Amino acid sequence: MAQPRWRSEGEDPDYRFTLANERTFLAWIRTALALLAGGVLLFEFASTIGPRVLVVVLAVGLAVVAAVLGGLSYVRWRANEIAMRHGRALPYSIAVPVLAAVALLGAATIAVMILLG
Amino acid sequence: MSSVVPSYEGRDPGLQPERTALSWSRTALAIAVNALLVLRSGFVSDQPALAVLGVLLFAAAAAAAAYGVVRARELGHEGGVVMPSAWPLLAVAAVVLLAAVGGVASIVVEAGR
Repeated sequence: MAQPRWRSEGEDPDYRFTLANERTFLAWIRTALALLAGGVLLFEFASTIGPRVLVVVLAVGLAVVAAVLGGLSYVRWRANEIAMRHGRALPYSIAVPVLAAVALLGAATIAVMILLG
Repeated sequence: MSSVVPSYEGRDPGLQPERTALSWSRTALAIAVNALLVLRSGFVSDQPALAVLGVLLFAAAAAAAAYGVVRARELGHEGGVVMPSAWPLLAVAAVVLLAAVGGVASIVVEAGR
Protein backbone atom coordinates (compact mmCIF):
# COMPACT_ATOMS: atom_id res chain seq x y z
CA MET A 1 0.00 0.00 0.00
CA ALA A 2 1.17 3.52 -0.71
CA GLN A 3 2.81 5.18 2.24
CA PRO A 4 2.34 8.79 3.42
CA ARG A 5 4.62 11.29 1.71
CA TRP A 6 6.44 12.36 4.88
CA ARG A 7 8.08 8.94 5.00
CA SER A 8 10.34 9.82 2.10
CA GLU A 9 11.42 13.18 3.56
CA GLY A 10 14.81 13.69 5.16
CA GLU A 11 17.02 10.74 6.01
CA ASP A 12 16.25 7.36 7.52
CA PRO A 13 17.12 7.56 11.24
CA ASP A 14 19.08 4.88 13.08
CA TYR A 15 16.79 1.87 12.93
CA ARG A 16 16.96 1.46 16.72
CA PHE A 17 15.30 4.86 17.14
CA THR A 18 12.62 3.93 14.63
CA LEU A 19 11.91 0.75 16.57
CA ALA A 20 11.91 2.61 19.89
CA ASN A 21 9.38 5.04 18.45
CA GLU A 22 7.20 2.13 17.34
CA ARG A 23 7.35 0.62 20.82
CA THR A 24 6.53 3.96 22.40
CA PHE A 25 3.47 4.18 20.17
CA LEU A 26 2.38 0.70 21.24
CA ALA A 27 2.98 1.56 24.91
CA TRP A 28 0.62 4.54 24.58
CA ILE A 29 -1.94 2.33 22.85
CA ARG A 30 -1.78 -0.12 25.74
CA THR A 31 -2.12 2.74 28.21
CA ALA A 32 -5.26 3.88 26.42
CA LEU A 33 -6.62 0.32 26.43
CA ALA A 34 -5.90 0.01 30.16
CA LEU A 35 -7.78 3.25 30.88
CA LEU A 36 -10.69 2.04 28.78
CA ALA A 37 -10.80 -1.29 30.59
CA GLY A 38 -10.63 0.60 33.89
CA GLY A 39 -13.59 2.75 32.93
CA VAL A 40 -15.72 -0.20 31.82
CA LEU A 41 -14.83 -2.21 34.94
CA LEU A 42 -15.57 0.76 37.19
CA PHE A 43 -18.99 1.18 35.63
CA GLU A 44 -19.84 -2.51 35.82
CA PHE A 45 -18.53 -3.46 39.23
CA ALA A 46 -18.56 -0.29 41.35
CA SER A 47 -22.25 -0.58 42.20
CA THR A 48 -21.73 -0.24 45.94
CA ILE A 49 -19.61 2.91 46.11
CA GLY A 50 -20.28 6.61 45.87
CA PRO A 51 -23.08 8.47 44.12
CA ARG A 52 -23.91 6.57 40.92
CA VAL A 53 -23.71 9.78 38.89
CA LEU A 54 -20.09 10.28 39.91
CA VAL A 55 -19.21 6.70 38.99
CA VAL A 56 -20.79 7.13 35.55
CA VAL A 57 -19.01 10.45 34.99
CA LEU A 58 -15.68 8.91 35.99
CA ALA A 59 -16.22 5.87 33.77
CA VAL A 60 -17.16 8.00 30.76
CA GLY A 61 -14.23 10.33 31.51
CA LEU A 62 -11.77 7.43 31.52
CA ALA A 63 -13.15 6.15 28.20
CA VAL A 64 -12.93 9.63 26.66
CA VAL A 65 -9.32 10.01 27.82
CA ALA A 66 -8.63 6.59 26.29
CA ALA A 67 -10.07 7.77 22.98
CA VAL A 68 -7.94 10.94 23.04
CA LEU A 69 -4.78 8.99 23.91
CA GLY A 70 -5.53 6.50 21.15
CA GLY A 71 -5.72 9.26 18.56
CA LEU A 72 -2.79 11.15 20.03
CA SER A 73 -0.53 8.08 19.96
CA TYR A 74 -0.55 7.99 16.16
CA VAL A 75 -0.11 11.75 15.83
CA ARG A 76 2.88 11.66 18.18
CA TRP A 77 4.44 8.61 16.48
CA ARG A 78 4.21 10.45 13.17
CA ALA A 79 5.60 13.70 14.59
CA ASN A 80 8.51 11.87 16.25
CA GLU A 81 9.30 10.02 13.05
CA ILE A 82 9.30 13.25 11.01
CA ALA A 83 11.46 15.03 13.61
CA MET A 84 13.98 12.19 13.54
CA ARG A 85 14.07 12.16 9.75
CA HIS A 86 15.02 15.84 9.76
CA GLY A 87 17.40 15.60 12.72
CA ARG A 88 15.26 17.93 14.80
CA ALA A 89 14.50 17.70 18.51
CA LEU A 90 11.54 15.49 19.37
CA PRO A 91 8.37 17.53 19.82
CA TYR A 92 7.25 18.13 23.39
CA SER A 93 3.90 16.72 24.37
CA ILE A 94 1.65 17.50 27.29
CA ALA A 95 0.31 13.93 27.15
CA VAL A 96 2.51 12.72 30.01
CA PRO A 97 1.63 15.38 32.64
CA VAL A 98 -2.05 15.29 31.59
CA LEU A 99 -2.14 11.50 31.91
CA ALA A 100 -0.48 11.70 35.33
CA ALA A 101 -3.04 14.29 36.48
CA VAL A 102 -5.94 12.17 35.18
CA ALA A 103 -4.63 9.04 36.92
CA LEU A 104 -4.06 10.93 40.19
CA LEU A 105 -7.48 12.62 40.17
CA GLY A 106 -9.31 9.46 39.16
CA ALA A 107 -7.62 7.29 41.76
CA ALA A 108 -8.10 9.90 44.50
CA THR A 109 -11.80 10.26 43.68
CA ILE A 110 -12.36 6.51 43.72
CA ALA A 111 -10.44 6.20 46.99
CA VAL A 112 -12.59 8.88 48.63
CA MET A 113 -15.77 7.22 47.34
CA ILE A 114 -14.69 3.87 48.78
CA LEU A 115 -13.77 5.40 52.13
CA LEU A 116 -17.03 7.31 52.44
CA GLY A 117 -19.16 4.53 51.00
CA MET B 1 7.07 -22.09 15.42
CA SER B 2 10.83 -22.08 15.08
CA SER B 3 10.65 -20.23 11.79
CA VAL B 4 8.72 -17.44 13.52
CA VAL B 5 11.51 -16.76 15.99
CA PRO B 6 14.18 -14.99 13.94
CA SER B 7 17.86 -14.98 14.71
CA TYR B 8 19.05 -11.60 15.90
CA GLU B 9 22.77 -12.20 15.86
CA GLY B 10 24.86 -9.56 14.25
CA ARG B 11 22.23 -6.91 14.34
CA ASP B 12 21.65 -5.62 17.82
CA PRO B 13 22.86 -6.86 21.19
CA GLY B 14 19.97 -4.91 22.74
CA LEU B 15 17.43 -7.18 21.07
CA GLN B 16 15.42 -4.21 19.87
CA PRO B 17 13.67 -6.25 17.15
CA GLU B 18 12.60 -8.85 19.69
CA ARG B 19 11.27 -6.22 22.09
CA THR B 20 9.38 -4.57 19.26
CA ALA B 21 7.74 -7.83 18.21
CA LEU B 22 6.88 -8.62 21.83
CA SER B 23 5.40 -5.16 22.15
CA TRP B 24 2.95 -6.04 19.37
CA SER B 25 2.03 -9.26 21.14
CA ARG B 26 1.36 -7.41 24.41
CA THR B 27 -0.78 -4.90 22.57
CA ALA B 28 -2.76 -7.73 20.98
CA LEU B 29 -3.37 -9.17 24.45
CA ALA B 30 -4.52 -5.78 25.76
CA ILE B 31 -7.01 -5.53 22.87
CA ALA B 32 -8.22 -9.07 23.63
CA VAL B 33 -8.82 -8.15 27.29
CA ASN B 34 -10.94 -5.20 26.20
CA ALA B 35 -12.75 -7.44 23.71
CA LEU B 36 -13.67 -9.81 26.55
CA LEU B 37 -14.90 -6.93 28.70
CA VAL B 38 -16.98 -5.43 25.90
CA LEU B 39 -18.40 -8.84 24.97
CA ARG B 40 -19.36 -9.48 28.59
CA SER B 41 -20.94 -6.03 28.94
CA GLY B 42 -22.92 -6.67 25.78
CA PHE B 43 -24.38 -9.92 27.12
CA VAL B 44 -24.96 -8.74 30.69
CA SER B 45 -26.64 -5.47 29.73
CA ASP B 46 -28.42 -7.02 26.73
CA GLN B 47 -26.88 -4.70 24.11
CA PRO B 48 -26.34 -6.75 20.93
CA ALA B 49 -24.38 -3.92 19.28
CA LEU B 50 -21.86 -4.13 22.10
CA ALA B 51 -21.48 -7.89 21.66
CA VAL B 52 -20.78 -7.31 17.96
CA LEU B 53 -18.14 -4.73 18.91
CA GLY B 54 -16.59 -7.33 21.21
CA VAL B 55 -16.31 -9.83 18.36
CA LEU B 56 -14.78 -7.12 16.13
CA LEU B 57 -12.25 -6.32 18.85
CA PHE B 58 -11.30 -9.99 19.06
CA ALA B 59 -10.66 -9.93 15.32
CA ALA B 60 -8.54 -6.80 15.80
CA ALA B 61 -6.56 -8.55 18.55
CA ALA B 62 -5.91 -11.48 16.23
CA ALA B 63 -4.81 -9.08 13.48
CA ALA B 64 -2.42 -7.28 15.85
CA ALA B 65 -0.94 -10.61 16.97
CA ALA B 66 -0.51 -11.64 13.33
CA TYR B 67 1.20 -8.36 12.52
CA GLY B 68 3.54 -8.98 15.47
CA VAL B 69 4.64 -12.20 13.75
CA VAL B 70 5.07 -10.36 10.44
CA ARG B 71 7.15 -7.69 12.21
CA ALA B 72 9.32 -10.32 13.87
CA ARG B 73 10.04 -11.80 10.46
CA GLU B 74 10.71 -8.42 8.85
CA LEU B 75 13.15 -7.46 11.58
CA GLY B 76 14.65 -10.90 11.91
CA HIS B 77 17.13 -10.75 9.10
CA GLU B 78 19.83 -8.34 8.11
CA GLY B 79 18.59 -5.77 5.64
CA GLY B 80 14.96 -6.49 6.36
CA VAL B 81 12.28 -3.84 6.53
CA VAL B 82 12.84 -1.65 9.57
CA MET B 83 10.24 1.05 9.49
CA PRO B 84 6.72 -0.19 10.10
CA SER B 85 4.12 0.53 7.47
CA ALA B 86 2.03 3.49 8.61
CA TRP B 87 -1.27 1.67 8.04
CA PRO B 88 -1.13 -0.99 10.78
CA LEU B 89 -0.34 1.76 13.30
CA LEU B 90 -3.16 3.91 12.04
CA ALA B 91 -5.47 0.88 12.22
CA VAL B 92 -4.50 0.13 15.82
CA ALA B 93 -5.13 3.74 16.84
CA ALA B 94 -8.50 3.59 15.06
CA VAL B 95 -9.39 0.38 16.91
CA VAL B 96 -8.71 2.08 20.26
CA LEU B 97 -10.84 5.05 19.21
CA LEU B 98 -13.67 2.77 18.09
CA ALA B 99 -13.51 0.73 21.29
CA ALA B 100 -13.55 3.88 23.43
CA VAL B 101 -16.50 5.37 21.54
CA GLY B 102 -18.32 2.04 21.91
CA GLY B 103 -17.53 2.03 25.62
CA VAL B 104 -18.87 5.55 26.13
CA ALA B 105 -22.02 4.75 24.15
CA SER B 106 -22.69 1.58 26.11
CA ILE B 107 -22.20 3.31 29.47
CA VAL B 108 -24.50 6.16 28.50
CA VAL B 109 -27.17 3.73 27.21
CA GLU B 110 -26.94 1.50 30.26
CA ALA B 111 -26.89 4.40 32.73
CA GLY B 112 -29.97 5.89 31.09
CA ARG B 113 -32.07 2.78 31.69
